[in-house]
Amino acid sequence: MRKLPVIVILFLICACGSQQIPEWKDTSSRQLESYKYYFLTDKEGTSEPHFVKAKKAIARSNDLNLLGTAYLTKYALYVSIIEDFDDTDFLRINKLQPNAKNFSYYNFIKGNFHAADYYLLPAHYGKLLKPAQDKDLATAVKEISSIDDPLSRLVACGVWVKYLPYDDNILQIAINTSADNGWGKPLFAYLIRLQQYYLDHHETVKAESIKERLELLKK
Amino acid sequence: MSLSREFKVGLFIVLTAIVILLSLLYLAYEKGFFEKVFTFTLSSKSGDGFTEGMPVVFSGFNIGKVHALELNDKGIVLIRIKIPERHVKWVKKDSTFILYRPLIGASRIIVITNNLYSPQLPEDKIPEVEIVNDINDVITKVPPLIEKITLIADNLETLSKNLANPKGDFNRILNSVTKVTDNLDNILKKVDKIADKTDAQLFSKDGTLPQINNILKDIIGKLEKLNTTVDNINKISQDASEGMKDFRTLRSDIDDTVNAIDDVVNKLDDLISSKKDPEFKAP
Repeated sequence: MRKLPVIVILFLICACGSQQIPEWKDTSSRQLESYKYYFLTDKEGTSEPHFVKAKKAIARSNDLNLLGTAYLTKYALYVSIIEDFDDTDFLRINKLQPNAKNFSYYNFIKGNFHAADYYLLPAHYGKLLKPAQDKDLATAVKEISSIDDPLSRLVACGVWVKYLPYDDNILQIAINTSADNGWGKPLFAYLIRLQQYYLDHHETVKAESIKERLELLKK
Repeated sequence: MSLSREFKVGLFIVLTAIVILLSLLYLAYEKGFFEKVFTFTLSSKSGDGFTEGMPVVFSGFNIGKVHALELNDKGIVLIRIKIPERHVKWVKKDSTFILYRPLIGASRIIVITNNLYSPQLPEDKIPEVEIVNDINDVITKVPPLIEKITLIADNLETLSKNLANPKGDFNRILNSVTKVTDNLDNILKKVDKIADKTDAQLFSKDGTLPQINNILKDIIGKLEKLNTTVDNINKISQDASEGMKDFRTLRSDIDDTVNAIDDVVNKLDDLISSKKDPEFKAP
């Protein structure tokens, strides 16, 4: 009778054991996740080595599409903090081995909304294409708010703020998303942008309040 | 047959006359008396300097002469020159005629022909004579020269007066130079005294140089002590370098251990969790 529980546990362990995942895939996936985390939490010095490791692991698979996706992940993070990115590496990859899905995503984060394909983009971004082409801010705010994944929501906010006319609602979505997830880098980027927005619209009291908030948070 | 004395004398006179005539004819021929002579007409606004018989010269050789001078209805002087046939080849259509009046020597008309292959000057064409007048040139240059000489003479006179005057500038400068020399003498004496003092300050027993010597000796002593410190630092750095080698070994050991733990964790993860195949997609 004593041996029975042990046998049951071993049976369960074996039953739960899944198929073996390739080491490169596991490593690259983990490193890419670490890269995202350290990048968004404003530890850029720590984040870059993770991207390099992820890149090297993917390189071992000889899969250029996957490598392109890794680069697009990096560019999307830059867009999420409303900064420019150097797209040379992705364009080289796309020239050697074109991938319509990746190129559509690239066009979306580059602000080329007419060149982005609705059906090839992730659904939540596809819904943003029409409001982006019509510059319909109200619909955009609605669509962005409905995106479940916080990073995708932040990327959508970044794309809109970077290339299209925006208001404080969209900036507030980005600020709330960053704050909920403890992402310091996008938080400060959008707070600064919000302060500038209020200054441009002559709302000096609000601008001053954001400035003070920033000073306190950075102290 | 005997000839009479009268016949012989007559024959001698006739033969002599023939010889003389032939000699004269030969001389005349040689001198170009029978030669064809070409007459050309030149023009000039002034007849000043032209004379009949004046030579016409080409490259320093006489090739003809002025035959006549005339004044036409417009008041232009026409100079007719005669050139013998053997020299006419030097006078061409584009030849230049210059009246040259040297300071010393006779005036002459100079022919300058640059192109000897150009056609001959027609006798009816009247080229104008250019005038080169050395005398006039000299005369125009002399008055300014005389003015300058007069000015120099005036200046010399002023200078000599100034030199002779005891209250003049020159004598005053001389006096000033004497004073300056006296002052320089005084200054040199002072410099001499200062040099003596400096010498004493620098080289005396308590002077600056002995003090510097003492300071240098002190510094050398301290540097010798520092040598020991530097040696110690070298030893420390060597030890640190060797320590770094140990660190590298330690680092590789840690790496091995971490990798081993990573492997174990991954294997445990595979065993325990229902790990899914990771999906790569951009955020």
